[in-house]
Amino acid sequence: MQPIISLQNVSKQYGDNTVLNNVDLEIFPGQIIGYIGPNGAGKSTTVKILTGVIQDYTGTVLLNGKDIREDILGLKQMIGYVPELAELYDLLTPNEYLHFVGALYHLPDAIIKERSTKILQSFGLFEHIDQRMDSFSKGMRQKVLLTAGILHNPSIVILDEPMSGLDANAVIVVKELMQVLKQEGKTIFYCSHMMDVVEKVSDRIVLIDKGSIIANDTIEVLREGSTHSLEKIFAQMTTSENLNETAGNIAQAMNDK
Amino acid sequence: MNKLLLFLFLLPKGLYRSLGADINHLKAILKVKLMLDDRRPLSMGRAPQAKKKPIRFMTALGVFMSMIIGFMYILPLMLEDTIMGLWLYATVFLLMFSFMLISDFSTVLFDTRDKTILLPRPINERTLLLSRLLHMFIYLFRIVFPMSLAGWIFMGATKGWLAAIWFPFLVLMLTIVALFLVNACYLLILRFAKPGKFKDIVNYFQIAFSIFFFACIYLLPRVIDSQDFQSLKHTDFEWAILTPTYWLAASFTWVEADKLSSATQWISILAVLGPAILVWLTIKYLSPSFSKGIANIDTVSVEAETPKVTIQTGKKSAAQLYLKLANWLNASALGKAGFSIAWLQTSRSRNFKMRVFPSFGFVPVYFFYLITMNQSNSMVETWEKLPETKTFVLLLYMSSFVVMNLLTMLVHSDQYKASWIYYSSPIARPGEVMLGAFKAVWVKYFLPMFAIVSLFVLYVWGPKTLIDIALALTNITVFALGILRVAYRKLPFSALELMKEKGNRFFKTMFIMLLPTSLGFGHYWTTITPWLWWMKIVFIILSSILLWLLWDSYKNTSWDEVKKMDLSA
Repeated sequence: MQPIISLQNVSKQYGDNTVLNNVDLEIFPGQIIGYIGPNGAGKSTTVKILTGVIQDYTGTVLLNGKDIREDILGLKQMIGYVPELAELYDLLTPNEYLHFVGALYHLPDAIIKERSTKILQSFGLFEHIDQRMDSFSKGMRQKVLLTAGILHNPSIVILDEPMSGLDANAVIVVKELMQVLKQEGKTIFYCSHMMDVVEKVSDRIVLIDKGSIIANDTIEVLREGSTHSLEKIFAQMTTSENLNETAGNIAQAMNDK
Repeated sequence: MNKLLLFLFLLPKGLYRSLGADINHLKAILKVKLMLDDRRPLSMGRAPQAKKKPIRFMTALGVFMSMIIGFMYILPLMLEDTIMGLWLYATVFLLMFSFMLISDFSTVLFDTRDKTILLPRPINERTLLLSRLLHMFIYLFRIVFPMSLAGWIFMGATKGWLAAIWFPFLVLMLTIVALFLVNACYLLILRFAKPGKFKDIVNYFQIAFSIFFFACIYLLPRVIDSQDFQSLKHTDFEWAILTPTYWLAASFTWVEADKLSSATQWISILAVLGPAILVWLTIKYLSPSFSKGIANIDTVSVEAETPKVTIQTGKKSAAQLYLKLANWLNASALGKAGFSIAWLQTSRSRNFKMRVFPSFGFVPVYFFYLITMNQSNSMVETWEKLPETKTFVLLLYMSSFVVMNLLTMLVHSDQYKASWIYYSSPIARPGEVMLGAFKAVWVKYFLPMFAIVSLFVLYVWGPKTLIDIALALTNITVFALGILRVAYRKLPFSALELMKEKGNRFFKTMFIMLLPTSLGFGHYWTTITPWLWWMKIVFIILSSILLWLLWDSYKNTSWDEVKKMDLSA
């Protein structure tokens, strides 16, 4: 099977700081990829390259076998992106914002209306569709961003911490949504620090640290026959520190004796 | 400045301690509050948006501004009739000060962050209350002291040391009256508006204040210079007796008894009695309901978790209008998107209103200022002679005043981070979005304003000015697109406004500023030379060609050009 996305030797530097270091990665359609790594490991940079926001990297990114530099708009049209920080023009209502985003994806008004109504209804947000978002909670904004991310029916959905701020029920909905999208043959690129969720929903887990991919496999393989949780595996692979000891030191700092 | 203020206001440590305050807490809280004040934009200044570099010394700037304003006030004190002068001084002082407080004080009064930052800490209530009071006093002191300084020195120098002793009393009483007015005003707003709307209304006050301030600077000296004004007597205004500022002015008779007839001298008792009653009213009635109101403002942010269902149906027609216009004026979906976002965002952003709306007020004020430059004429004469002048050219071009602000606020926003959406969307030519946004502000803000100015010009100067209106319209549009093309080739609301523009941009902007001036002068030249009327038609054609070129170039702005502009900023 041909990978839908393939990163070959991708590097990115900010000045002297190498953020991505010769990354090779293949993503196949109909999979949920759990993309994890410590803060500053290069997750966001990867996401920005995949969404076409950063274009001055070295190496090659292929989309369906074609270099994305040749058709950056085609890439953007295929990708739905939900960013980590809930940044949106919150003086608009969800209805207005979704029409704005829909127009940027060249969707006809009728389609935007139909889809946004259905999605917001499912999220339980429809009754707020004409209310300005500046009074919305983080979870409500997140639901709007999720809606905006899948409105144009993308084949690849990139979710960066999509559960942040969502209530427990909405988290279930989003987890289910990922499964449904996957069954429809869509590819989900799921970045998160919530190891238990990543462990449960991902078909493959990609672990990045200091700009390099240090693991890329199913959870079963990563466990190597043990019963370790992903959290534990993550800690083992990304830090040499004894985290229990670190916690102990912090607690100790308050004892002045 | 802050260190000095903090030191001075914390001198009576023993007193605070005996009131039950924790001095260390008090000092820590006040220090942070004053620091925050220092970094907050002024009500009278342009709001600086730079967040990369810390905004500092706003306090010093504020003190300086207050001092300048104070200088303006002393003009009436030079009147022959001292009571008249004092009455005017007190009235202007009171109005200006109240206006300033209404627009700015709310940030001091309702720092809602107190609830989350200070309340969970082990700070006793007395300390908290005292910190609020002291902060308020420092805040007031920073405005009132420099503002009254010029008047104080002037009174001391011209009326002797008794007047200099009396003057602080006047200022103190004025402060009390102003506080009462501000309290009452806030309460009225809270009563008649939803708590959520409070900030919007205060915002309109700020806009009104900046226009008022601008008008005062330009028009007050003009009015005061006139002969009629110099000979004003307080006895000409019988109703003056009803105003609290008159009671305060009347108290000057304590210094110079012969200034008033004994029959009205008793009025000066009200100078003490009036403010005393107002203080009592404030404490007894206004403050309690006020705290309740503030509590409501606070709960707005809490309610946001579970907002009520408000599906607007009444606003449908207004909403339809912008959608219709968006469809009608833009061929592409991207153009429509740009048009819609600019239309909606500008309707709702407080920052946008704050920056753009005052400039609408500046146009008539500035025009009035310019036509009355010739002091020898009375107002009536000036008005009658207006059609003989060529000032309509000036007036037409003056409407480009708003253009600079309008365009700056079209690309800049404090929500600039939300612009990630443009970069991840399949937009081939960002210029289409940008041009759509330009059309929206042009149709929504510039054209109505230009239409009003044009109607005024047609009314005064007659239909022969139609050709001038057409030429001015194309020229200003060329100017606007020129600015966008050279300095603001950015997606709508996608950039953070920096306090200082970089050097090369400054020169670019200077260059583009020369454009309207030369266009305007060209226009003026054809107007004062009657046989050159046909030149206007040539100019319209030339200007239209230039407009078309700029329009096309802006519309075809590529990603590379946008990024280049981002890098140079």
